[in-house]
Amino acid sequence: MENLFFDNIEIAPVAVVKRAARDFAGALAETPQFKSFEAVAERFRDDPAAQKALGAYEEKQIAWRALLMLNALSDEQKAELDTLRVAFDNQRVVQEYFSAQAEMVSLCQELGDTLSESIGLNYAASCGVSCCG
Amino acid sequence: MHTVQSPQLQEATRSLIDNLLASEVFVAYQQACAQFNVDSEARTQLKQLFDLQASLRQKQTSGGVAQAEIDALRALQQKVEHNRILMTYAQAQQEAVNFLREINTEISGLLGLNFAKLANHATC
Repeated sequence: MENLFFDNIEIAPVAVVKRAARDFAGALAETPQFKSFEAVAERFRDDPAAQKALGAYEEKQIAWRALLMLNALSDEQKAELDTLRVAFDNQRVVQEYFSAQAEMVSLCQELGDTLSESIGLNYAASCGVSCCG
Repeated sequence: MHTVQSPQLQEATRSLIDNLLASEVFVAYQQACAQFNVDSEARTQLKQLFDLQASLRQKQTSGGVAQAEIDALRALQQKVEHNRILMTYAQAQQEAVNFLREINTEISGLLGLNFAKLANHATC
Protein backbone atom coordinates (compact mmCIF):
# COMPACT_ATOMS: atom_id res chain seq x y z
CA MET A 1 0.00 0.00 0.00
CA GLU A 2 1.51 3.33 -1.06
CA ASN A 3 0.47 5.94 1.45
CA LEU A 4 1.12 9.55 2.28
CA PHE A 5 1.54 10.50 5.92
CA PHE A 6 -0.99 13.09 6.95
CA ASP A 7 -1.37 14.22 10.56
CA ASN A 8 0.02 10.90 11.84
CA ILE A 9 -2.62 9.02 9.84
CA GLU A 10 -1.61 7.08 6.77
CA ILE A 11 -3.82 8.24 3.94
CA ALA A 12 -4.11 6.26 0.73
CA PRO A 13 -4.38 8.66 -2.23
CA VAL A 14 -7.45 8.29 -4.43
CA ALA A 15 -5.33 7.09 -7.36
CA VAL A 16 -3.92 4.27 -5.22
CA VAL A 17 -7.38 3.18 -4.05
CA LYS A 18 -8.58 3.20 -7.65
CA ARG A 19 -5.61 1.12 -8.70
CA ALA A 20 -6.49 -1.38 -5.94
CA ALA A 21 -10.05 -1.41 -7.34
CA ARG A 22 -8.73 -2.17 -10.83
CA ASP A 23 -6.47 -4.93 -9.42
CA PHE A 24 -9.51 -6.38 -7.66
CA ALA A 25 -11.49 -6.28 -10.92
CA GLY A 26 -8.56 -7.93 -12.70
CA ALA A 27 -8.44 -10.74 -10.14
CA LEU A 28 -12.20 -11.19 -10.40
CA ALA A 29 -11.96 -11.33 -14.20
CA GLU A 30 -9.49 -14.21 -13.86
CA THR A 31 -11.89 -16.39 -11.85
CA PRO A 32 -13.48 -19.47 -13.48
CA GLN A 33 -16.90 -18.03 -12.62
CA PHE A 34 -16.31 -14.82 -14.58
CA LYS A 35 -14.66 -16.58 -17.53
CA SER A 36 -17.47 -19.12 -17.72
CA PHE A 37 -20.12 -16.38 -17.51
CA GLU A 38 -18.43 -14.36 -20.25
CA ALA A 39 -18.09 -17.41 -22.50
CA VAL A 40 -21.69 -18.53 -22.13
CA ALA A 41 -22.96 -14.95 -22.52
CA GLU A 42 -21.17 -14.80 -25.87
CA ARG A 43 -22.61 -18.17 -26.93
CA PHE A 44 -26.04 -16.95 -25.89
CA ARG A 45 -25.67 -13.78 -28.00
CA ASP A 46 -24.54 -15.88 -30.97
CA ASP A 47 -27.23 -18.56 -30.68
CA PRO A 48 -29.97 -17.83 -33.27
CA ALA A 49 -32.55 -20.16 -31.70
CA ALA A 50 -32.07 -18.65 -28.23
CA GLN A 51 -32.22 -15.11 -29.61
CA LYS A 52 -35.35 -15.95 -31.60
CA ALA A 53 -37.02 -17.41 -28.50
CA LEU A 54 -36.01 -14.34 -26.49
CA GLY A 55 -37.27 -11.98 -29.19
CA ALA A 56 -40.64 -13.74 -29.39
CA TYR A 57 -41.09 -13.59 -25.61
CA GLU A 58 -40.01 -9.94 -25.35
CA GLU A 59 -42.20 -8.92 -28.29
CA LYS A 60 -45.30 -10.19 -26.50
CA GLN A 61 -44.21 -8.69 -23.20
CA ILE A 62 -43.87 -5.27 -24.85
CA ALA A 63 -47.15 -5.61 -26.73
CA TRP A 64 -49.01 -6.57 -23.56
CA ARG A 65 -47.08 -4.33 -21.15
CA ALA A 66 -50.11 -2.33 -20.07
CA LEU A 67 -52.18 -5.46 -19.49
CA LEU A 68 -49.31 -7.06 -17.57
CA MET A 69 -48.99 -4.01 -15.34
CA LEU A 70 -52.70 -4.15 -14.60
CA ASN A 71 -52.55 -7.93 -14.18
CA ALA A 72 -55.33 -8.05 -16.76
CA LEU A 73 -54.14 -10.69 -19.23
CA SER A 74 -56.75 -13.15 -20.39
CA ASP A 75 -56.19 -16.87 -19.71
CA GLU A 76 -55.27 -17.36 -23.39
CA GLN A 77 -52.75 -14.52 -23.28
CA LYS A 78 -51.23 -15.86 -20.04
CA ALA A 79 -50.93 -19.31 -21.60
CA GLU A 80 -49.31 -17.89 -24.73
CA LEU A 81 -46.81 -15.88 -22.68
CA ASP A 82 -46.03 -18.94 -20.52
CA THR A 83 -45.44 -21.05 -23.64
CA LEU A 84 -43.02 -18.46 -25.03
CA ARG A 85 -41.23 -18.25 -21.66
CA VAL A 86 -40.90 -22.04 -21.43
CA ALA A 87 -39.61 -22.18 -25.02
CA PHE A 88 -36.95 -19.63 -24.05
CA ASP A 89 -36.06 -21.34 -20.75
CA ASN A 90 -35.74 -24.71 -22.50
CA GLN A 91 -32.92 -23.51 -24.74
CA ARG A 92 -29.77 -25.31 -23.60
CA VAL A 93 -27.64 -22.17 -23.83
CA VAL A 94 -30.18 -20.23 -21.76
CA GLN A 95 -30.00 -22.82 -18.98
CA GLU A 96 -26.21 -22.68 -19.12
CA TYR A 97 -26.37 -18.87 -19.04
CA PHE A 98 -28.56 -18.80 -15.93
CA SER A 99 -26.37 -21.40 -14.23
CA ALA A 100 -23.18 -19.42 -14.96
CA GLN A 101 -24.91 -16.21 -13.89
CA ALA A 102 -25.93 -17.79 -10.57
CA GLU A 103 -22.32 -18.86 -9.91
CA MET A 104 -21.07 -15.38 -10.76
CA VAL A 105 -23.70 -13.70 -8.58
CA SER A 106 -22.84 -16.02 -5.68
CA LEU A 107 -19.15 -15.08 -5.91
CA CYS A 108 -19.90 -11.35 -6.24
CA GLN A 109 -22.27 -11.49 -3.27
CA GLU A 110 -19.58 -13.10 -1.14
CA LEU A 111 -17.06 -10.47 -2.19
CA GLY A 112 -19.61 -7.70 -1.64
CA ASP A 113 -20.36 -9.07 1.84
CA THR A 114 -16.66 -9.15 2.69
CA LEU A 115 -16.29 -5.55 1.54
CA SER A 116 -19.42 -4.45 3.42
CA GLU A 117 -18.41 -6.12 6.68
CA SER A 118 -14.93 -4.61 6.52
CA ILE A 119 -15.81 -1.04 5.59
CA GLY A 120 -18.94 -0.72 7.71
CA LEU A 121 -21.22 0.22 4.81
CA ASN A 122 -23.44 -1.97 2.64
CA TYR A 123 -21.52 -1.99 -0.64
CA ALA A 124 -24.40 -2.71 -3.05
CA ALA A 125 -26.87 -0.41 -1.30
CA SER A 126 -24.27 2.37 -1.12
CA CYS A 127 -23.71 2.07 -4.85
CA GLY A 128 -27.39 2.80 -5.41
CA VAL A 129 -28.42 -0.69 -6.39
CA SER A 130 -31.95 -1.65 -5.41
CA CYS A 131 -33.74 -4.97 -5.88
CA CYS A 132 -34.82 -3.74 -9.32
CA GLY A 133 -31.28 -2.85 -10.37
CA MET B 1 -22.27 -22.02 0.62
CA HIS B 2 -18.85 -20.45 0.27
CA THR B 3 -17.09 -20.23 -3.05
CA VAL B 4 -13.44 -21.23 -3.15
CA GLN B 5 -11.52 -18.05 -3.89
CA SER B 6 -8.06 -17.97 -5.42
CA PRO B 7 -5.24 -16.50 -3.30
CA GLN B 8 -4.96 -13.72 -5.91
CA LEU B 9 -8.59 -12.76 -5.48
CA GLN B 10 -8.34 -12.91 -1.68
CA GLU B 11 -5.23 -10.74 -1.76
CA ALA B 12 -6.81 -8.24 -4.16
CA THR B 13 -9.92 -8.06 -1.97
CA ARG B 14 -7.82 -7.49 1.15
CA SER B 15 -5.78 -4.82 -0.62
CA LEU B 16 -8.93 -3.02 -1.81
CA ILE B 17 -10.35 -3.07 1.74
CA ASP B 18 -7.08 -1.83 3.27
CA ASN B 19 -6.80 0.99 0.73
CA LEU B 20 -10.46 1.96 1.07
CA LEU B 21 -10.13 2.14 4.86
CA ALA B 22 -6.97 4.21 4.49
CA SER B 23 -8.57 6.68 2.07
CA GLU B 24 -9.21 10.20 3.31
CA VAL B 25 -13.00 9.90 3.11
CA PHE B 26 -13.09 6.59 4.98
CA VAL B 27 -10.70 7.80 7.68
CA ALA B 28 -13.05 10.78 8.14
CA TYR B 29 -16.06 8.44 8.15
CA GLN B 30 -14.51 6.16 10.78
CA GLN B 31 -13.69 9.17 12.96
CA ALA B 32 -17.26 10.46 12.57
CA CYS B 33 -18.64 6.99 13.42
CA ALA B 34 -16.45 6.80 16.54
CA GLN B 35 -17.65 10.24 17.70
CA PHE B 36 -21.27 9.31 16.98
CA ASN B 37 -20.99 5.98 18.82
CA VAL B 38 -19.79 7.58 22.06
CA ASP B 39 -22.35 10.40 21.93
CA SER B 40 -25.52 9.03 23.53
CA GLU B 41 -27.47 12.26 22.85
CA ALA B 42 -26.74 12.06 19.12
CA ARG B 43 -27.67 8.37 19.00
CA THR B 44 -30.89 9.01 20.91
CA GLN B 45 -31.88 11.90 18.64
CA LEU B 46 -31.27 9.86 15.50
CA LYS B 47 -33.24 6.90 16.89
CA GLN B 48 -36.12 9.19 17.86
CA LEU B 49 -36.12 10.66 14.34
CA PHE B 50 -36.11 7.24 12.65
CA ASP B 51 -38.84 5.93 14.98
CA LEU B 52 -41.06 8.96 14.42
CA GLN B 53 -40.53 8.87 10.63
CA ALA B 54 -41.45 5.16 10.57
CA SER B 55 -44.50 5.73 12.72
CA LEU B 56 -45.71 8.63 10.56
CA ARG B 57 -45.16 6.66 7.35
CA GLN B 58 -47.37 3.93 8.75
CA LYS B 59 -50.04 6.41 9.80
CA GLN B 60 -49.81 8.21 6.44
CA THR B 61 -51.00 5.10 4.61
CA SER B 62 -54.10 5.03 6.80
CA GLY B 63 -54.51 8.83 6.49
CA GLY B 64 -54.30 9.48 10.20
CA VAL B 65 -51.42 11.92 10.75
CA ALA B 66 -52.20 14.73 13.18
CA GLN B 67 -50.73 18.25 12.82
CA ALA B 68 -49.09 17.90 16.23
CA GLU B 69 -47.19 14.85 14.98
CA ILE B 70 -45.97 16.73 11.90
CA ASP B 71 -44.85 19.60 14.14
CA ALA B 72 -43.03 17.12 16.40
CA LEU B 73 -41.25 15.69 13.36
CA ARG B 74 -40.17 19.16 12.19
CA ALA B 75 -38.90 20.02 15.66
CA LEU B 76 -36.93 16.81 15.85
CA GLN B 77 -35.50 17.35 12.35
CA GLN B 78 -34.32 20.81 13.38
CA LYS B 79 -32.72 19.39 16.51
CA VAL B 80 -30.87 16.83 14.43
CA GLU B 81 -29.77 19.48 11.91
CA HIS B 82 -28.23 21.48 14.74
CA ASN B 83 -26.36 18.52 16.20
CA ARG B 84 -22.77 18.88 14.98
CA ILE B 85 -21.87 15.23 15.67
CA LEU B 86 -24.86 14.00 13.68
CA MET B 87 -24.28 16.37 10.78
CA THR B 88 -20.59 15.44 10.61
CA TYR B 89 -21.55 11.77 10.70
CA ALA B 90 -24.17 12.17 7.95
CA GLN B 91 -21.85 14.21 5.74
CA ALA B 92 -18.94 11.79 6.21
CA GLN B 93 -21.18 8.85 5.41
CA GLN B 94 -22.43 10.55 2.23
CA GLU B 95 -18.87 11.26 1.11
CA ALA B 96 -17.89 7.63 1.78
CA VAL B 97 -20.90 6.48 -0.24
CA ASN B 98 -19.97 8.80 -3.13
CA PHE B 99 -16.43 7.45 -3.07
CA LEU B 100 -17.68 3.84 -3.07
CA ARG B 101 -19.71 4.66 -6.19
CA GLU B 102 -16.57 5.94 -7.90
CA ILE B 103 -14.77 2.75 -6.91
CA ASN B 104 -17.63 0.63 -8.22
CA THR B 105 -17.48 2.51 -11.54
CA GLU B 106 -13.77 1.67 -11.72
CA ILE B 107 -14.41 -2.04 -11.04
CA SER B 108 -17.46 -2.28 -13.28
CA GLY B 109 -15.78 -0.49 -16.17
CA LEU B 110 -13.05 -3.09 -16.23
CA LEU B 111 -15.41 -6.04 -15.87
CA GLY B 112 -17.98 -4.74 -18.37
CA LEU B 113 -20.79 -5.31 -15.87
CA ASN B 114 -22.07 -3.64 -12.72
CA PHE B 115 -20.29 -5.35 -9.84
CA ALA B 116 -22.58 -3.82 -7.17
CA LYS B 117 -25.65 -5.09 -9.01
CA LEU B 118 -24.27 -8.65 -8.98
CA ALA B 119 -23.23 -8.29 -5.32
CA ASN B 120 -26.72 -7.21 -4.28
CA HIS B 121 -28.74 -9.66 -2.16
CA ALA B 122 -32.05 -7.80 -2.29
CA THR B 123 -34.86 -9.17 -4.41
CA CYS B 124 -38.20 -7.61 -5.32
